[in-house]
Amino acid sequence: MLTMTIWWLAILLEALLLVRGLPGKLVRQFPIFYSYILFVFVEEFLRFSVYRWFSSHYSQVYWITQFLSLVIGSAVIFEIYRVGLRSFPGTARMARYLLLIVFGAVFAKALANPSGGLFWWFAKRSLVLERNLRIVQALAILTLVSLFLWYAIPFGRNLKGIVFGYGLFIAMSIVQLTLSYTWGDIRLFWPYVQPVSYLLVLGLWASALWSVQPVPEGKPAMQLEDDYEVLVASTRSQLRRTFARLGWAVRQ
Amino acid sequence: MMSTAIFVAVAIFLVLFLLLIMRHEEVDEQESVQADASTRHECRDALQHQELVFRIFSREDREFILLMRSPRLQRIYQEERRKVALHWVRRTSREVSRIMRTHRLIARQSRNLDAGAEARLFFQYLQLRFICGLLVLLSKTFGPHALPDLASYAGELSQLIGRAVPDAAAANHVASSGIPGTP
Repeated sequence: MLTMTIWWLAILLEALLLVRGLPGKLVRQFPIFYSYILFVFVEEFLRFSVYRWFSSHYSQVYWITQFLSLVIGSAVIFEIYRVGLRSFPGTARMARYLLLIVFGAVFAKALANPSGGLFWWFAKRSLVLERNLRIVQALAILTLVSLFLWYAIPFGRNLKGIVFGYGLFIAMSIVQLTLSYTWGDIRLFWPYVQPVSYLLVLGLWASALWSVQPVPEGKPAMQLEDDYEVLVASTRSQLRRTFARLGWAVRQ
Repeated sequence: MMSTAIFVAVAIFLVLFLLLIMRHEEVDEQESVQADASTRHECRDALQHQELVFRIFSREDREFILLMRSPRLQRIYQEERRKVALHWVRRTSREVSRIMRTHRLIARQSRNLDAGAEARLFFQYLQLRFICGLLVLLSKTFGPHALPDLASYAGELSQLIGRAVPDAAAANHVASSGIPGTP
């Protein structure tokens, strides 16, 4: 009964998100995110129908739809990068380098350690496979969020809600999937914990995406926007002077 | 077991970073850059004079006080000098943060941003913050005069960065461009 209530609540919240987002500008601003919500909405109905009338096939349907939503969810991360850094080409460039390093490191680890690697063709169990892909997503979001914070990129209420909600969902998925792999008892709670945490995320999204908020545009930078080398030289020379001052202090 | 801990740690880090986002205030960055630039002029005047630094950390004053042979005077001197030194180091640390903040706010919009240069600046910034933290710790624990070992290290780093500055032409350009905070 409780599972069904949670299920219906989730469907209701997804419908609410779509109703608020589809007619307005939000869907044009975040097309991938709304495609993801639409997919999850259809997926919930499909799963519900299979669970109700073809329960013997539920497991296959669950994992197939789960991986499809995982793939579309990865595209949401790309959308966070695209929308958030549209006006900040410098940070966008840095993000590309860092994401390349992160994905390169993940790929290298998978090649170096194929038995416990991160890629699906090595994974023996669906849980491990999903957990590993969620970790890759978490690393990508961590990289992006670090850059957003370091370069003081303004999020805007809508994007902040999407990042926070999706990041929270990934973090909770990792914890659940990791513990269910090593600590089997969590399977008793999992049917409740996962949907409840997902409900929380949907609630966050519904609140953040209730109305369109402008995505903050980057204003033209100061006089050095066209001369990055000069900017770096200036910063270095200022840091060098500070080093020197600290040196005087310590030498006394 | 080890990998379980690492995976859970990744999830916890992610949640912590997400909470940081929620605290991230949306301020008018352009205004804050200009505010930084104006306050930096004031700070520089207060911080940059070599005489001031020599005075704060001077051993001569301590030796003079020692000659007075007054334990009370020595205690007052130690306490006051420690406060002044801590204030100076903290202001220097804030100045370092301001320099980097201004850099980031401009660099984020630069189309020809160099990831390597950004990484090097980031590590230099970390080193500076670390030295400031160490100075605060040492000043609090042993007083402002217990720092001679750090001197050589800071001096060497300063020279290393000096060599890393790309070319004199760029530096000259900086000097003439009127960037706030440059002489």
